Amino acid sequence: MQKFANPHVFVKLATAILPYVWALTAILFVIGLYGALVTSPPDYQQGETVRIIYVHVPASWLALMIYSLMAVFSAVALIFRHPLADAAAKSAAPIGAVFCFLALFTGSVWGKPMWGTWWVWDARLTSMFVLMLLYLGYIAIWRAIDDPHRAASIAAIVALVGAINVPIVKYSVDWWNTLHQPASVFRMSGSTIDKSMLWPLLVMALAYTMLFVALHLVALRGEVFLRKIRNRRLAEVRNK
Amino acid sequence: MNSVTALLMRELRLGTRQGGLGTAIGFLLALIVLVPLSLGPDLALLSRIAPGIMWLGLLLAVLLTSEQIFQQDFEDGSLDLMTMTATPFELIVLAKALAHWFTVGLPLALLAPPLGLMLNIDATQLPTIWAAMLLGSLALSMLAAIGGAVTAGLRRGSLLVSLLILPLYVPVLIFGIAASTSSLAPDTSLPSFAILLAIAMMTLVISPLACAAALKAYLR
Amino acid sequence: MDWSAPHAGFVMAAYAASAIGIFGLIIWLVRRDINARKQDQRLG
Repeated sequence: MQKFANPHVFVKLATAILPYVWALTAILFVIGLYGALVTSPPDYQQGETVRIIYVHVPASWLALMIYSLMAVFSAVALIFRHPLADAAAKSAAPIGAVFCFLALFTGSVWGKPMWGTWWVWDARLTSMFVLMLLYLGYIAIWRAIDDPHRAASIAAIVALVGAINVPIVKYSVDWWNTLHQPASVFRMSGSTIDKSMLWPLLVMALAYTMLFVALHLVALRGEVFLRKIRNRRLAEVRNK
Repeated sequence: MNSVTALLMRELRLGTRQGGLGTAIGFLLALIVLVPLSLGPDLALLSRIAPGIMWLGLLLAVLLTSEQIFQQDFEDGSLDLMTMTATPFELIVLAKALAHWFTVGLPLALLAPPLGLMLNIDATQLPTIWAAMLLGSLALSMLAAIGGAVTAGLRRGSLLVSLLILPLYVPVLIFGIAASTSSLAPDTSLPSFAILLAIAMMTLVISPLACAAALKAYLR
Repeated sequence: MDWSAPHAGFVMAAYAASAIGIFGLIIWLVRRDINARKQDQRLG
């Protein structure tokens, strides 16, 4: 991790591996989509709408994983003062936020044919909604503070406090949901996922993950250059 | 330890004098009037949502007054001085947050349930609601302090505070209401209170740490 | 996938939204990256 502390080294590395990451992403998506839309069977209860699972579940997993990653980056930034760590957290946030929104949107679109309403306050969607708020708050705090070093410290604290909150919220919303359990229990097709559905799901999850890696590298590289430009501009003003 | 008690007394005196409680109570009363006006006077409906409304009022009222915990001392430089004393800054921050609870959160927690009678709350629920709100308001004040600290240097931080703190309030709200209404479901009563207590204890530890770190970042 | 099945429109909406979100992200981030690098080069 020490060699990545030099932004210059990171940029070279990122530029070198990006084409391969993009290529892998594309391949995985092609295979995954083929499995999702062509080979996997419709559900005996839900029909074709079960296919939404292949875009909903990976988005949810990524939304959660990216936030955890942001928390780890933030901890590294605060504790080790690693120069790229706060930039890594900052650049991951919009990506996670978009995935979180997609999870909510696809979940809602899935809910309408399945439960008859566009929104349901079930444990999962509610927790996702709170996660969305956490993402928005984190992005907002970066934009609210002018000084980048101060913003980095404050944002890191916000991310860590939020991260502690995530499992607590999940637990509390699960609890709340069982207290107010509706009469019927909604389950996906069968109690276990059939193999014909599992492999497209895993491939799509991998595809989304590779997509995140590519996007994060691009975003981080962009952030590194933006900071470089800002520092140069400041140096110009100072030297005038 | 004497300096911390001295600070606590100062905060308590300032808190009671500055009247943040007045605004908070006013807000609570406004909410109590507006809810029946917007939903209709159906007493059965009101009695069902009353605990929720009272908790919402408590939550929002505490949030509204969160800025006064650090704002003034931050702006006039006293906070800066406090970081340079021998007492750990985290303890100082804890004292300030606790003072906010004593002067705002706690009184609101005591006042809200009887006001709930206007929403046709079941009077036999009052003791449980009081207990739950006493615990919950401590957590709420501690979390509000985090919001105040993280936005201390910002000019118009109040909206951002809400966005940052409301997700933290979700577990407190859920377990607080579960505990409040548990007289109707006795087997959930002890677990809800236990978890509420655990959350309150957690905030007592996490809040000073987070607040101190955030304030130091602004003071650098 | 049977595109004429009932509720097929929901599946289309979900996939379309995902595609728009993903491509939107890609376009935004790649453009930001390219512009930043160009500006950095210009500043010499």
